[in-house]
Amino acid sequence: MEIIYYPGCTLDASSKLYDVQTRIVMEKMGFSLRELEDWSCCGATSASKTDEFLAVALPARNLGIADATGLGEIVIPCSSCYSRMLVSQKILAKNAALKDRINSELTKKVQGSIKILNILELLATKSREGFFAEKLSKKLEGLKPACYYGCLQTRFPIDMEVPYDVENPQGMEDVCVALGAAPVDWSYKTDCCGASASVNDSELSFRLMSKIIQDAAARGANCFVTTCPMCQLNLDAYQNQIIQKYGLPGPLPVYFLTEFIGIAMGVSPYDLQIDRHFVESISLLKELNLI
Amino acid sequence: MATDILKFTQEQTATFLKEVSERSGQNLQACYQCRRCAAGCPVADDTGVTPDRLIRMIVMGDRDQASNNLLVWKCVSCYTCGTRCPNNIHTARINETLKQMAKEKSLQPLDVKIAAFHGAFMKSASHFGRINEMEFMGLYEIKASGEEMKRGGLSAVIAEMMAQAKLGIEMMKRKRMHFGFSRIKGMDEIKRLFNRAGKK
Ligand code: SF4
Ligand code: SF4
Repeated sequence: MEIIYYPGCTLDASSKLYDVQTRIVMEKMGFSLRELEDWSCCGATSASKTDEFLAVALPARNLGIADATGLGEIVIPCSSCYSRMLVSQKILAKNAALKDRINSELTKKVQGSIKILNILELLATKSREGFFAEKLSKKLEGLKPACYYGCLQTRFPIDMEVPYDVENPQGMEDVCVALGAAPVDWSYKTDCCGASASVNDSELSFRLMSKIIQDAAARGANCFVTTCPMCQLNLDAYQNQIIQKYGLPGPLPVYFLTEFIGIAMGVSPYDLQIDRHFVESISLLKELNLI
Repeated sequence: MATDILKFTQEQTATFLKEVSERSGQNLQACYQCRRCAAGCPVADDTGVTPDRLIRMIVMGDRDQASNNLLVWKCVSCYTCGTRCPNNIHTARINETLKQMAKEKSLQPLDVKIAAFHGAFMKSASHFGRINEMEFMGLYEIKASGEEMKRGGLSAVIAEMMAQAKLGIEMMKRKRMHFGFSRIKGMDEIKRLFNRAGKK
């Protein structure tokens, strides 16, 4: 199945590993990814905090290009890009004047036809269809992940229908169970890790993350799993500092869901670039005989 | 917080409330102070002010307090308040609006580093159409350290630089630092959009 793929700036830079493994894993799962041609920055949270027009217009350029391909769906791994694109599409559907204003500056106009999917929706649907029941080369026995969703793929700045329980989503748990892992039940799966504040207000984001790490460890998790590159980088890069500061156990590796699927489908952890995590993440997989 | 008796004229109050409501797209007057938003706001411990308080300040026309409190600047846009509010009021959008209003009036942001961060991000996007992390962090450091210099002197600047450099080295070790610059072909479109935004 051919599907458009929007990597976004983070996957093009510090989370390149996520781009690499998404391509490997999705291809293995039978998707054929077509990178969105000449894609540009979605504006992330910064645009919405500084300029209302750009917050809608920057994602819109990408939506226009996607609409013009004539393909049905676009998959977006980064929660922030996903949220901005979806919100832009919904706002433009309701505001014809704004849509005209933006379209007058664009080469490829927004039509509003493309279906925007977060990578988790795609993976969870496949899982529910029973895909993993046949395709696994090994079961992820012994992995007890705390499934971490974060903010931006569960909650939106406008009123929107969402097809899951916003306080207790289950998509990632479903995939983990299908892969043979045993996700823990915990309380902070949709709490904010303060990703953008890590650079400019680290005290705040460290405090937010300390609660997340503490609860995961107390519930018996031996790792985190997420689909958001901001959450992954934040929890991964600063975890050692945080557990030191707050006297917490750990550190726990922070895996991407694509890494779980890759390992379960027999892909080498080095091809998936799991060795590029900040918290050492290969030994747990070795201890559990998963690689 | 504001315990003094509020002095305001009805006219002044109404214009401020109207402006914030219209620009944020939120019906502030629907708020009945149930504080469901406050219970879930992750930054409340740090800011003192919770979303319900902020809304009250705006409704009461307390323009100063409403623009000068830490919630507006420290809000992490987690959208918990709006998702849980029985009246669908998204305080994150109100915070965004108040920040934009402060920027337009060239008021000194209460948290300069946070303002510098978002400013640098947008500047980097306007240069290449994509965020090049090296450039973005460079722009941010220049802006933030200028502000640090004014407030904390050289030692504050050095502390800030050291913290960022430490992360940079860790990133490099794990091959997570990228020095290539990517620039999109449709830069003319991006420029036009930024121009439009500037004009309004
Ligand atoms: S949850 Fe909504 S109605 Fe209740 S206090 Fe907060 S903003 Fe007001
Ligand atoms: S969006 Fe901002 S104000 Fe609302 S709960 Fe999150 S941090 Fe608090």
